[in-house]
This record gives sequence, C-alpha cells and structure tokens, in this order.
Amino acid sequence: MARVPLLSSNAVWAVFTKEAVCESRTKYAVGALVMFALTALSSVSLAIAGVSLAPELAAALLWIVLFFCAMAGLARVFVQEQEAGTLLGLRLYATGQAVFWGKLLFNLVLLLGLTGIVAPLFTVFFGIEIWYWLPFVIVLLLGCVGMAAVATLTAAMVMYAQGKHAIFTVLTFPVLLPQFLSAINLTAKILSEDMPELSELMFMAGYDAAVVAAGILLFDYLWQE
Amino acid sequence: MDIRIVVDNIGKSFGEKRLFSNVFAEIAGGQCLTVTGCNGSGKSTLLKIIAGLVRPTAGQVKLILDNRLCPKERIYYMGLVAPEVSMYLALTGIENIIFWTKMRGISCSKVEAENFCRQMGLGKSGCDLVATYSTGMRQRLKLAVIKAINPPIWLLDEPSSNLDEGGKELVKELIFAAVAQKAAVMLATNESEEVMYGKSTITL
Amino acid sequence: MRKAASLLTIWLAGVILAVVYLIPPAEGLGYFVRIAFFHIPVAWVSVLAFLVSAAAAGLHLRTREYKYDCMSACSAQLGVCFCLLATISGAVFAKLTWGAYWNWDPRQTTVFVLLLIYGAYLALRSAIEDEERRAAISAVYALLSFLTVPFLVFIIPRMYFSLHPEPVLNSAGKVAMEPVMLYVLLAAVGGVTALYCLLLSQSVAKAGERPEKELSI
Repeated sequence: MARVPLLSSNAVWAVFTKEAVCESRTKYAVGALVMFALTALSSVSLAIAGVSLAPELAAALLWIVLFFCAMAGLARVFVQEQEAGTLLGLRLYATGQAVFWGKLLFNLVLLLGLTGIVAPLFTVFFGIEIWYWLPFVIVLLLGCVGMAAVATLTAAMVMYAQGKHAIFTVLTFPVLLPQFLSAINLTAKILSEDMPELSELMFMAGYDAAVVAAGILLFDYLWQE
Repeated sequence: MDIRIVVDNIGKSFGEKRLFSNVFAEIAGGQCLTVTGCNGSGKSTLLKIIAGLVRPTAGQVKLILDNRLCPKERIYYMGLVAPEVSMYLALTGIENIIFWTKMRGISCSKVEAENFCRQMGLGKSGCDLVATYSTGMRQRLKLAVIKAINPPIWLLDEPSSNLDEGGKELVKELIFAAVAQKAAVMLATNESEEVMYGKSTITL
Repeated sequence: MRKAASLLTIWLAGVILAVVYLIPPAEGLGYFVRIAFFHIPVAWVSVLAFLVSAAAAGLHLRTREYKYDCMSACSAQLGVCFCLLATISGAVFAKLTWGAYWNWDPRQTTVFVLLLIYGAYLALRSAIEDEERRAAISAVYALLSFLTVPFLVFIIPRMYFSLHPEPVLNSAGKVAMEPVMLYVLLAAVGGVTALYCLLLSQSVAKAGERPEKELSI
C-alpha cells in the first residue's frame, strides 16, 4: 500500500517545480526582488552622477544589493507555506531532505536569475569594466550558493517565529558574514584588475560545502517535531 | 500487511494547560475508531500526535507492522485530512494531487488524478486553480488526495465539514472502502451519524 | 556554592591588587596595559561561553533534554554580557593606545561578529513561544553559527591586511611579557573563567527551579 519514501530526485524535482509554478503564477517574490535591485542601483548611480567608484566600494555595493534582495525574497519558501497552511501537509507527506534540497535549488535559481539582472545593470550604471569575466562569474556563483544555502536554513528557522522577516535578516547576516566578506574582497580584486587566487576561490567553495553539509545534517531537526 | 496502532497513555499539555491525558487506544487494519469530544477537547491534536506531527507530552504511539515494531518514521504510513492541512491555492486540483502523491513516491498520472477529482465530485474543476474553489470543493480535493495516496492509516479530522449531503455520502463510501482494504481508520467528528461508522469510540 | 563564591571573591580581589601594584608599566603602553588584564580574560570567556552554548545545543538535539537547552541559553546570556564588556574594554584600549575606538582590526571584528551571533541567538529565542520548538530551533542556530566561526577567523585577517596597514600592536601579548605579567594574566583568566562557571551553574539552577510558564529565556 505504501512504502517509506527514500530521498529521490523525483521528490526534490517535484518540490522545485511546485515552487517554480506557484511563483510564476503569483509572482510573489520576483517583483519585490527586481524592484529593490533597480531602486538601489539606480538611486546610487543617480546620486554619484558619473563619478567613478573605488573598486572596494563598488564591490561592497554590489554584494549589499544582492544580500538585501536575498533577504527580501528568499524567506518566502518556508514562510509562505506556514502562512498558507500547506506546511502541515508538507511535513506529513514529504521527507525533510526532499524539501530542503528542492527549496534550496529554487532559492538558488531565483538568486542566480536575479544576479543575472543585477550584475549587468551594475556594470552599466557604474561604468565598470570587467577584465576577468570567468573569475567574476565564479565568485558570483559561489557567493550566491552560500547565500541561498544559509537563507534556506534560516528561513526554516523563522517559520514559527514572530516578526519573521526582521529576524530573518538578523539571523542570516552573522552566519553569512565570512562568505560575504570573501565575495566583496574577491570582487574588489577583480574590479582592480587583479586575479583572485585559487586558494581564495577554494575557500569560498569550502564555505558553501560546509553550509550545505550543515543543512543536510541539521534540517531534519527543524523539520520534525 | 498487518497493521496495528497502539496509543499508549498519551497526554498533551501546552505549558501549564493540560489538554488531555491517559489516552489509550488500539486500532487494527480494517477497523474504524471514532474520536468524539466537545470543541477544544483536543481531537485534532490527538490525531496529529498519532500521525507524528506533534510530540506528546507523555506516552507514546507505536506502529506495529506484521508484528514488528516500526521505527520512528511512522509518519510515512499516515494520511491526514484536517482543516489545518490546506492545498496549494496557486496550483490546480489535478496538480495538487500529482504533487502530493509524488512526495510520497506514488506514481499518479494526469488521467488518474483527473479520475480522482471526478470521483470526489469535482468534475471539470480539476483543471482550475484551487484559489477559485469553494470551501466545499477544497474539502473534496483533500479527500481526493488521501484517496490517491491510499495510505495504510487514515486519519480524518471532521472530514464532512463544509460538505453537502452528496459530499457526506462520499465520505461514508470513502471510509468504508478504506476499511474494506484493511486500512486502519481514525475519525474525529462531532456528527452523530459519523460516530456510528466506527466500531469503537473514544471520547476526550 | 557560598564557599566557592567567597573563595572566588578573594581570588579576584587578589588579582586586582596584583594588577594595580605588581604590574610594571609596559613599553609604549604605560599603565594602560592594565586594561588588557581585564579585557583579555573577559574576551576569552565570551568565546568560551559560545563554545559551551554550542556544545549544549548539540547535546540537546541529541538527547532532547531541557537541561541542555537551559544551559545553552544561560551560557548565551552570560556570554553576551562578557562579550559587551570585551568589546567596550577593547574599544577603550584601542582609543587610548592607537587613537581610535574602532578600526576593524581582526580581533575587534571577531568580537563584533560574536556579539552579532549572540544577539541573533537571543533574538531568535525570544521570538518563538513554543518551548520545544524554541529549544530545537535555537540549538540548530547555535550549531550553524558555530560552524561558520572558523571561516570567519580565517578570512578576517586576510581582509584586514589586504586593506589596512599592519597594526602597531595586536594586543599586550605581542609585547615581551615579563613572567610577572604572564602569571597575573593567567590568574586573571582563571579567575574570570571560574566566575563564569559559577554564574552559569547558578542561573541554570535558578531556571530549573522556576515553573516552566515563567521561563522566558
């Protein structure tokens, strides 16, 4: 009649597509994200009116915009389930691992899509030339993986809390800080026409691996009673 | 598969407030047990404890399959229909059925999902978004989902709420069909006719 | 408990007297080096409290016993106090020696992030009402933040040295320590650690006595 479902790519894919379909029909998160990014970038660009930014400042600005976009949009995967009443059903019928991976992938795709809009806009608005495209893309990718992983975990933590969105940012920032600083550092290097070292990229990859591993181990404690 | 659920001295308190205590019950496959009690007596909570969604303050629930004690993942043998278990409003009825069955690892094609919708009286609405459904239709969809999943243990919390006479008949058929299939059914209700569906009753 | 408290008071009084009378002025620092005898023990305890909090959180998740959750929360509450003291004393020391309260040198940054983590942990605890959930969720957060601290410790010096010149002085530890200074420092560290342990056991015992309804940590 029934068998205990093991973690299957089917289930993960089902969660991912469900998120994608629901989001495409309601456009709950995407609108907020894109508007925030546009507002932030355009207002800074207008305010400095063509003056070129120091590489460190530009790098910090880029990652701040990405971070706050993430804070605006990535909590949705769990908070909305809780608010819509579907969380109980999900806890009943789905395994914790399938939910974690499916929502993590969705958050990652959302964030990468956003970065795909923000990064080009950033280079356009601030007149920035990027000599080393591949390292830049790699740094963006590694940074987004870290942000998506941490955000997915902390979103699962604030599901049951009061004042979910405020505390979401408060929780995510300290945990994400090492990756955030690395990303700013390496981006500043790239903008200064300097190549980041392989060890630094490995460090970022190591952080991502550690957080994802922590997620795999710890998520079930958040998911089950 | 020979199923038995043993509810052993379950109690639940929220902080200082005690909801219920010393609840004993045993349900075997092919039986229906009803749980009655006034509003706020904890019927829904009891069902959730048995499902494994809520931790009891005292006692334990054991699932025994083929005379072997089942490990803690008893939740995967459960199905629950309750007011707090909602469907995805941004998906259609059919998409909901396909999603929930896939999460349980059960294959269900679009045609089969459509069939389940029709059987529960949703007809063509299976293709519409659940956001457009009335409360009665949403209840029917929940019943269609549990029918599609067909778990060994059915936990039904006021399954006839929001349903018309036709719907209530469907619920009766659903319960009897599940019992005939040797599933264990637990029904929490205040409707006097439904209380009769069960072989035995607990009152909280 | 009373005996331990009085013993500790005597020990700490002895340390304070030693700091005031025994320690000679250090090179370049003068009498300001005395702040280091307060700052270093307090900073060490704030890190220790974090370790204890994370370890207790791990034990809670494994065993689901409330006493570990209680220990985790109490340790975090003490830790945030010590961390605040460490931050303030560090900033005062920095102002007196380098002329600026804050310049993001690696140690200051680490203490700052620790403060953020404590703040986030306690904010999370106060935002969840249901006790079991609060215990499990805050335990997961404690472990997650504990995991990222090593990364922080690696990345910050790199960032700092790439953006700032080498600081003149990292801490009094860099100054050639006369044996007297070292012993007094160790005594101070030991004393403050014992103070932390005493306060922790007292608050855990007090929290255990109160009925669960009033437990609001």
